Amino acid sequence: MSRAGTPIEPDTPAPDFRPGRIAAFVAVAVLLWVGLFAGSEGLMRHLADENPVYRIRAAPTDGSDWIVLGASHAMPLDFQGFGDEIARRTGQSVLNLAVPGTGPLYHRFLAERFFASHRAENVLVVVDSFAFYDRQWNEDRFSDRDLLARTPLDAPTLRLYARYLRHGVDPRGFLDYATGFSKINNHDRFEPDRWEAEENFDRTIRPSAHADQERIAYLYPEPPDVAALARYLDHLVALIRDARAAGAEVVVIKPPIPERFAALLPGEDDFDAALTARLGAEDVRFHDFTEALPDPGFYFDADHLNRQGAETFLEEHLGPLLIGTDAGGNRDAGETSTGRER
Amino acid sequence: MGFTSFAFFLFVPAVLFGFAVLPGRWRVAWLLSASVAFYASYGVESFLHLVFVVLLAHGIARRIEGAGSEATGRRFLRLGVVLLIGALGFSKFGDFALAEVARLTGTPPVQTGLTPPPGFSFYIFMATAYVVDVWRGQVGATTLAQTALHLGWFPKILAGPIERAGTILPQIGKAMRASPAQTALGLQLILWGLVKKVVIADNLAPLVDRTFEIPAYAPPMELLISLYFFAFQLYCDFSGYSDMAIGLSLLFGIVLRENFRRPYLALTATEFWSRRWHISLASWFRDYLFYPLCGNQPVAVRQHLALLTVFAASGLWHAGQGYGVGWAFLVWGILNGIYLSVEKMLRPAGRRLARRFPKVIGSPVVSVLRVLLTFHLVLITWAFFRADTIGNAVLVLRRIAEALPELASLVFRYPYTTEQALGAGLIVALLTIEALAERRAFIERMGAWSTAARWAVWYCGFAALLLLGRWGDATFIYQGF
Repeated sequence: MSRAGTPIEPDTPAPDFRPGRIAAFVAVAVLLWVGLFAGSEGLMRHLADENPVYRIRAAPTDGSDWIVLGASHAMPLDFQGFGDEIARRTGQSVLNLAVPGTGPLYHRFLAERFFASHRAENVLVVVDSFAFYDRQWNEDRFSDRDLLARTPLDAPTLRLYARYLRHGVDPRGFLDYATGFSKINNHDRFEPDRWEAEENFDRTIRPSAHADQERIAYLYPEPPDVAALARYLDHLVALIRDARAAGAEVVVIKPPIPERFAALLPGEDDFDAALTARLGAEDVRFHDFTEALPDPGFYFDADHLNRQGAETFLEEHLGPLLIGTDAGGNRDAGETSTGRER
Repeated sequence: MGFTSFAFFLFVPAVLFGFAVLPGRWRVAWLLSASVAFYASYGVESFLHLVFVVLLAHGIARRIEGAGSEATGRRFLRLGVVLLIGALGFSKFGDFALAEVARLTGTPPVQTGLTPPPGFSFYIFMATAYVVDVWRGQVGATTLAQTALHLGWFPKILAGPIERAGTILPQIGKAMRASPAQTALGLQLILWGLVKKVVIADNLAPLVDRTFEIPAYAPPMELLISLYFFAFQLYCDFSGYSDMAIGLSLLFGIVLRENFRRPYLALTATEFWSRRWHISLASWFRDYLFYPLCGNQPVAVRQHLALLTVFAASGLWHAGQGYGVGWAFLVWGILNGIYLSVEKMLRPAGRRLARRFPKVIGSPVVSVLRVLLTFHLVLITWAFFRADTIGNAVLVLRRIAEALPELASLVFRYPYTTEQALGAGLIVALLTIEALAERRAFIERMGAWSTAARWAVWYCGFAALLLLGRWGDATFIYQGF
């Protein structure tokens, strides 16, 4: 055979392209893929115990008192064993399924996946306005290679993934999940599945206007989009209805954030109005804890609770809510109830 | 739709299927449609640039061929070359020049916002060569569809090879079909090109980018590692594209010229530039710039000036709006021109030395030393290629040079990262394969192996792509030029 770019010599022996040989070649290649997939899946299951699908699979099927759905603001509630602390103080079993940078569509997916095989008494949905404005926190997360690389393969999740194609999820994400491509091709395959921010849980931030601005620019890359907000509120409502159909009660909260950070959120009043209207129509309890912990000393970065913040939040707000002794609150107290009380 | 994108992996089988089932008379139209679809995926503006160049080259070639006199033909040739190279120059430097004019005259700056689309330089070069070759009588003017397919052929439109009309046009027609041998070779080249691009180049790229972002603060050892890595990133990125372009073309029975021939094994800078690195561009510059500059009876001084001019032009080509104004590219080009000029001057002395000490000069040890020397001379110029500014390139080289005595002792106890170790391992693997291929092409060697061994190579390639490849829609460095 001749070298690249030079014509094939006339006496070059023709390669054997008989169908049987091609089939054998492809079959070995498929076996190789399956072997790599199985190996990657096995390795991932050793290291990816933080992934919500993994957590669902590992959870007792007979029921949890609460499951928590949300983006990164809900994650400190399970940092460094804090979830156990919540369970100890409240007597409630809590399964935290929060994933950084996810919105209502992904939360709905997780809720459906959970209720397909498990039961829970209550669902706590932690909402952030940023996640209602952009598909990057919703549809695009289903194709996110980092997330796919850590999501264990199982039949219920695969079926659900296929069903979510109708919600605008990229088919490549489904194909990736089904074939395990991102797991096989995971360059951090030997790294444990930990959000690096967890290491900062005991720290306290020194306020920085620049860091706040950067964070806002990251969360809100575009001006708030009213059409997107309506679409993702529909998904939140669908999540609520699904959960109720599965026999669970739903509580929606907005997480506490520092006062200076809250002041930077774009279009927050419009978001609150739209959210409360939709939740009110669904008769869902809603607590707005945005202003509950305004001091930056409660946060390890621009907007995530540190241990002190999480403990204070648990003591003053979350604990009573979980055990059902909260008053339902009002906006002046940093809480708003838009519907019936539990 | 990059070569490493998911869409492209669907696009190619679809084009192949159509090519296989359509009758011969429809194949050119089919491949032209596929090429248009591929290039239009980079935007309507890109497509319009291509249409402009195709129509211009085709129209000028027709006029030249139909010209009643040599003088008329020459006028059309000049017009064509000026318009084509002018379009390239304006798209690269137009806004920069306008801004400079505004600065010097104190008037408000006017900007066109024009930037060259991906691969613009490459099809401009091919179009220019086509027009000149028609003028020289080396090829005849062709149909519009043939010209369009020659310039817009999707495997090579983004970064070459800069194919000549005389070699590619005869292959475009009803009889296009790939032989089994071409198909096998094509698939092998695609696999090898992919490995070079997504496994080697794209694994080296993040390390290089990180260091070259902070040349003043990165430790000298990191600068040195990054400079070495960049040499191989650029090579694997560019030659990986060429391999894929050649391989893809072979699947349709179109043979493109070899564009890279294990360049880092060159014994001299002259060999590096004339016979091993971006061969199609080197021969383009040789045929359409160097020879015309030298004239019929070249004298030594004129040859040296022509060499420097060619390399300065090459440097200028790399600069421009597509990759930043980047005057460092000019330094890169001139430095390489100086290397070749100096080698040319030293050649008689070298020949005398070789005659006097044939065994020493021809020994493997001396060959290895010459390869290393040539590689490091080229490496110095890559600093100007990669750094944002001339100042940063000088800074990188100065900091490495100042730290060299310490670096020698650091080599064995430096805390290399896993990524660096992986990068180094990939480079060693590449050089091993290339050193073996230097004696006998690796693909030829494979031909003599058993089926199991040949298949094992394929599966190793697949496994490397799957386990180590950095997939996504990464672009190729040279499509920006």
